[in-house]
Amino acid sequence: MAIVREKGYTHWNGQLVERRFPWAPIARTGVRLAFRKKGFKFVFAMAFMPSFVFLVTLYISERLEDFKGFVQGNTALLNVDPNYFKLFLTSGFVLFSLLLVLVFAAAGLIAEDLKHNSLQLYFARPIGKKDYILGKMSVVAFFILILVALPWLLLVVFKLIFAGNFKFFLQYPWLPLSILGYSLLLTVFLGCYVLLLSAVSRNTRYVIVLIFGVYYFSSVLAEILKKAFGSPYMALFSIPADLQQAGAALFGQKLPLAIPAFWSFLILAGICVLAAAVLNRKIRSVEVIK
Amino acid sequence: MTVAKAVRQVFGFFAFLGRKAGKVRVFAVLGLMPVALAVVVRIVLHGRSGPMAAVFTEILMVFFLQFYIVILALFYGTSITAEEVENRTLSYLITRPLPKAAIVLGKFAAYVLLMFGMVVVSLALSYFIMNAARLSDPELYLTFLRYLGVLGLGIVAYTAFFTLLGTFLKRAIIVGLVFGFGWENVIQYFPGSTQKFSIVHYLKSLLPYHPASISGGRGVALLLFRLEPTKPLAAVLMLAAVSAALLALACWLFRTKEYLYED
Amino acid sequence: MTAVISASHLSKWYGNVLGLNDISLELEEGITGLLGPNGAGKSTFMKLVTGQMKPAIGTVAIRGRRVWNDPEIFQGIGFCPEQDVFYEDMTGSEFLAGLLRFYGFPKKEIDDRAARALDVVDLTADKDRLIRGYSRGMRQRIKFAQAIAHDPGILILDEPLSGLDPLGKRKLIKLIKGFKDEGRTVIVSSHVLPEIEALTSQIVLIHQGQILAQGDIPYIRELIEAHPHQISVRSSDPRALAARFVGDRSIQKMTFAADGQTLVVETHKRDEFFGRLTGIVLEGGIEVDEISSPDDNLQAVFEYLVGK
Repeated sequence: MAIVREKGYTHWNGQLVERRFPWAPIARTGVRLAFRKKGFKFVFAMAFMPSFVFLVTLYISERLEDFKGFVQGNTALLNVDPNYFKLFLTSGFVLFSLLLVLVFAAAGLIAEDLKHNSLQLYFARPIGKKDYILGKMSVVAFFILILVALPWLLLVVFKLIFAGNFKFFLQYPWLPLSILGYSLLLTVFLGCYVLLLSAVSRNTRYVIVLIFGVYYFSSVLAEILKKAFGSPYMALFSIPADLQQAGAALFGQKLPLAIPAFWSFLILAGICVLAAAVLNRKIRSVEVIK
Repeated sequence: MTVAKAVRQVFGFFAFLGRKAGKVRVFAVLGLMPVALAVVVRIVLHGRSGPMAAVFTEILMVFFLQFYIVILALFYGTSITAEEVENRTLSYLITRPLPKAAIVLGKFAAYVLLMFGMVVVSLALSYFIMNAARLSDPELYLTFLRYLGVLGLGIVAYTAFFTLLGTFLKRAIIVGLVFGFGWENVIQYFPGSTQKFSIVHYLKSLLPYHPASISGGRGVALLLFRLEPTKPLAAVLMLAAVSAALLALACWLFRTKEYLYED
Repeated sequence: MTAVISASHLSKWYGNVLGLNDISLELEEGITGLLGPNGAGKSTFMKLVTGQMKPAIGTVAIRGRRVWNDPEIFQGIGFCPEQDVFYEDMTGSEFLAGLLRFYGFPKKEIDDRAARALDVVDLTADKDRLIRGYSRGMRQRIKFAQAIAHDPGILILDEPLSGLDPLGKRKLIKLIKGFKDEGRTVIVSSHVLPEIEALTSQIVLIHQGQILAQGDIPYIRELIEAHPHQISVRSSDPRALAARFVGDRSIQKMTFAADGQTLVVETHKRDEFFGRLTGIVLEGGIEVDEISSPDDNLQAVFEYLVGK
């Protein structure tokens, strides 16, 4: 029997299926929008510079004979071990370049939604606060894992390839885990940090100032307090110092500060808890205007 | 309306609006950090005026000169144009009988006054708390005025630079951050006349600092590391001239450029 | 009458996209409606007229003075932008008073003018509330208030009725019509046809950056010779009426409406048709209850010209 259908509005007869990862579209869109911003691709590419420089040093370290004249006896600098990995990964430049990428990709993640009153649109869909925050965090996670975990794990592989044996891995089997652990630390902390500041204002420009301002202010404050009181514990006020301390602990290396690493982890965790509290308060579908 | 009158009207409008904005509270609280530190240091170093003077000069001025005024000027300077374009309120201003230069200059003046107010309160409280034991010394007040003058000039110069950036760049804040926290910090390590290509060099040249008399010649102060100072009068003239030139360029750009809202 | 606003070979590009395509027009005193679909170029034209953008080619002038970088011209112009944006940290009265300062009025006059403008748009009771807390309609009204507070001779209104409830729209339409009676010039843009029709019969139709037509609605309608007129005749015996017309060469098409009582005729020669119809009615035998022209309105003109 032929079926005659009317040309008109038809209601979909299928059944709605609950998505397993309702936050995934938010994450995908966030990443896509970041790449659309002018100048972002350049900044993103430049953020790979430290890993590229490290790759070159890895190569030179395995070909010292060929580069004898270039290196001129400074072979100690090319002793590639977990400390070397730690030095690069926790360096100020890497952290700065990560911040710069996040400023482009993540500063407006929540600020823009607040500015355009988009939260109502999100929560009119079958997603909850948790999915929203997870989606936004995933954008940060994507970039940090791509810039830190991926290239640096690959660098371990390159080290093995250039060496032609597994000696390095057998000597330091925990190194890939350290890299992953540090990447996760950066992901969670920087994600919380950036989203906290993004939720604090509707003005993305102001959020950018806050992201760098708070970061560098903490260093300035720590320096001032250290000079005033002479105590190494004052360094805990510095976010970059805490990240470097935690990174050194994760790599099992000598700590840069003469204090237990536990305190740095505690400070970083505290900031994450603060971020969770602020996000829980700020992310709601209805805005109350007094 | 004459340009001067228009500048006055724009100044009044944005001085009022700027005071009301929530961000003022955040920046003002940031400015209370050195005050809190001054209180703590005063308690710890009670009675030792020499070390306290050194703490102020070597430490707190680092905060003011290399962080606080830079961050304030960066935000407010770039806001002069960028804020109006982002918020799409530029239409309200350029469809009034106001010369476009007056909009830039009026907003500049309003924001400089706002920033100066925040800096004065913070500096005065922290300075006089740190030097509470020497309040009868007239030299103290002259030194305070000198510090204030340096920071005031710094606010004007940095804000003028960031105003220019905001007038012609879309991502002015990022370029501003690289300049304010990158270039201005790194330049002090460059030899010879390279230092003169920074605003902070001229500000540091004006600081009332005598390393031998305060710290006994021990160590090197954070602020004046590798400084080859310019003569004070030349430094003031240079800062004034650079600020005027940057503002003039910003006004000209604002007048000739058209700003399209992102849809 | 001298033109209040004149544009000569006005063109504007956004990168490679042509926003306005060689527009030349003169707008005279009274209310002129600028009509076109979204993206037609209405806002681009408004921005050029209000000096927010510079023409790529051509000129735009108000009373003979070029607009770009001539701030003095705005002493007598009021502009109501399309965007729903404000200095949100201000109250309604602070917002109006703040903007009135820019005209050089003394303080007392600023307060009086602000109060009057608030009264005109019925926002006196809410003048001390932050604009951030205003409803959509209130925000639209305060936007209109800032455009009229300084008593400008020329009002340029970009979608002034958007966001208003029907009562609000009626009030504003009445207000705008009142401006015309006071001798002011008003340019109103909209894509909502009934709004424009309620305000004025003088329209400029814009589409894809070009002016499709300019003039009053019936005149534009007359111009569209190629498009047959539709006339609807309700009578006691539409079929008999149709039979009388079927041999007429001026009739393009005849249809019967769903109600069974109405004959809809399409003809190029409207006057001739009406002459024949009158004759048939006078002869007797067929009663005609109602005659109307369904397409003698802006909607039909617009749809035809825009090609929908």
